[in-house]
Amino acid sequence: MLLTGLLLGAALGFAMQRGRFCVTGAFRDVFVARSTRWLTAFLVVIAIQAVGIAAMQGMGVIGAADKPLALPATVIGALIFGFAIVLAGGCATGTYYRSGEGLVGSWFALIFYALSAAVMKYGVLGDFTTWARGITVPATTIHETLGVSSWFLVAALGAAVLYLVHHHLSRPALKLASLPPRRTGLAHVFFEKTWGALPTAVVIGVIAILAWPLSTATGREAGLGITTPSANTVAFLVTGDVELVDWGVLLVVGILLGSFAAAKGSGEFRIRVPDATTTVRSIVGGVGMGVGAALAGGCTIGNAMVATAQFSYQGWLSFGFMLLGTGIATKIFVLRGPRTATRTPAPATAGV
Amino acid sequence: MPTKTVLETDGQVCPFPLVEAKEAIAALEAGDELVINFDCTQATESIPRWAAENGYPVTEFDRRGDASWTITVQKA
Repeated sequence: MLLTGLLLGAALGFAMQRGRFCVTGAFRDVFVARSTRWLTAFLVVIAIQAVGIAAMQGMGVIGAADKPLALPATVIGALIFGFAIVLAGGCATGTYYRSGEGLVGSWFALIFYALSAAVMKYGVLGDFTTWARGITVPATTIHETLGVSSWFLVAALGAAVLYLVHHHLSRPALKLASLPPRRTGLAHVFFEKTWGALPTAVVIGVIAILAWPLSTATGREAGLGITTPSANTVAFLVTGDVELVDWGVLLVVGILLGSFAAAKGSGEFRIRVPDATTTVRSIVGGVGMGVGAALAGGCTIGNAMVATAQFSYQGWLSFGFMLLGTGIATKIFVLRGPRTATRTPAPATAGV
Repeated sequence: MPTKTVLETDGQVCPFPLVEAKEAIAALEAGDELVINFDCTQATESIPRWAAENGYPVTEFDRRGDASWTITVQKA
């Protein structure tokens, strides 16, 4: 049954690579391009998943979020994580799928992210993490505080997201330039065509729902998660303890394989070595991601995309502070940073 | 006389190719062309979208090899 983790991970990696689903990009675009197109797609994933979670909780397939909110650790960790993903050039899943595309900078970010998450969870900083996450306030989910059924929040979120989707769809459609097609039929759809933000969000929302029963069936009662599985992978590799290899570990391995297959199949795989600045940023960003996610109790997926769908305070608080962290880092490193691309006049005959 | 400028962004990760393109096109005159060479996958969507949103015609968009693209945007 653990194999379903590998398969679902591969599907997720494939969908993220082909759909260019990047949470860092979604958060960053709010500040760089003043665009909420991808942020809306991200909210669509949360809303779809929220319906699935509420239904499965109603049927007793999965339990409710029940951990008290580790307020300071969540706020600080989310801020660090949001800042770090700009340096790393991708959040947890973004780093996985770009690794599958052959970006060596993302390999660095991934290795240091998994390593620092393991250090924070199982290593020398394990006691510190336990202490920080031990400072809690007695609040778990929003509907529990309000004393209402989670379906009220599902409906409210659904209405808000529908409004945003309508807002984006009601704009005049732009005619975008596209690459000359080389394939037809299904091969075109899977390995060439631009999926678009909303269809990609629907596919990922469905995958996120499926994760719950498939993972729970193996004894891991959770949805999609990246940080703990990444830390477990490192811990397994250095200790050889097979007990650590759970559904989540196979999920993250699957993301790598799926994104590699998608990139290779569409001619988008190539080993790309970064320059010195990007390498250092990737490493610092990777370390920050592991530290931030361990403190916050999850990354942009585990907290901002999954815990939000459970309407937990940890999820929504993380979402807000990750967005803030991304905004601060974007202002410092993207909008003000030095430009390094070379500009040269084209030879008179070029392109004629 | 319209000019053509080549912006080499290979090795830069998103959103930098687009950020560089925005600054480079600001220095051009209407009718001038900007050839952007890039190898960041996401830019295959973000650059055409930016061009369309600004009303800049795309005169060429093609692959240069695996994970490597070129797009020519005309300032309008």
